Amino acid sequence: MFKSTHLVHFTAQAGREARDAVEATLRGIEGCRLVQPTLPGVYNGGHLMAHFQFEDEAHWRARQTQLEAVLGSPDVGHVDSAAYEGGVGGVREPGLEGGVYRALFFCVNRPVDTRTLEQFEAEMRRMPHYIPAICNWQLSRVAHASGARGWTHVWEQEFANIGGLAGEYMLHPYHWARIDRWFDPECTQWMIDTTLCHSFCALERSILSPAKGRHSPT
Amino acid sequence: MTGKTIYAVDEIVPRPGEARAFLLAYMERYAPGARARGMTLERVLVSPPVWLEDQSNTLTISWTIAGVPAWWQMSMQARPDPAVAAWWSEVDDRVVSRRREYMAAFEDVEVLSRV
Repeated sequence: MFKSTHLVHFTAQAGREARDAVEATLRGIEGCRLVQPTLPGVYNGGHLMAHFQFEDEAHWRARQTQLEAVLGSPDVGHVDSAAYEGGVGGVREPGLEGGVYRALFFCVNRPVDTRTLEQFEAEMRRMPHYIPAICNWQLSRVAHASGARGWTHVWEQEFANIGGLAGEYMLHPYHWARIDRWFDPECTQWMIDTTLCHSFCALERSILSPAKGRHSPT
Repeated sequence: MTGKTIYAVDEIVPRPGEARAFLLAYMERYAPGARARGMTLERVLVSPPVWLEDQSNTLTISWTIAGVPAWWQMSMQARPDPAVAAWWSEVDDRVVSRRREYMAAFEDVEVLSRV
């Protein structure tokens, strides 16, 4: 499955009507699985999250003109976008409804060898093992990126509620004392640009669980 | 549970004969910013406890942080600060090795990991 996720920042001049029009147009594009305003607390997360799923990259390309037209609207000031083949993920709550969808865009842009990159990715994929609040998840390498950085990865997760993200996920030591050394300029393992996008929004029903990507048992 | 003390520990091996000068630079140039970000210097250990001239000392510099939310506050201030990245880049050029670890007392492990 090929996917694209977009974090949309409206201009200061864009009013409610203009924002609603952008949302409605995005919802009308084939492949749309989610369009939701972001929730308070995002970091470089934009005002709106939009997520699309396609059978393959060719189908994504076929929708690019439509996507670019709406994301290039004068009411849109900035967009961070990532398009990617769905990577390894997992599902604990296939029927999740009324939860929270979160996407982290980040860019590995410091010198790193393949083995180290794979170690990092393996450690990331172990987060749900230690942090049960992560209901469903997927870590993907980005094929096409635009925005503030050349995003190399998207880390998507679904939580039952905002407390799972803001509480358990952020406070768990596997997160801040283990994973974050890759993100931290004070640690020797630092390899990820300090500019990243942490965005999340309300989720009507799971968009990760029906994914046809490879799922690892955890 | 989130208020348990977090330890940030730098284990640094300066180049032979440079440990004392390195520690002075660390205290003058890194420590004030770390304090401003909410870190409290707990102790500085020198091994072996003699300033070596032709070999390397190992410096273990331990800071405390007052809980996980304070750790995030500290880290979110440090990460975008180019002066912090520049400091550690310079350090990497003048040491044999270094590492930064975040730790907790063993009696706090169960509580910290049960969030």
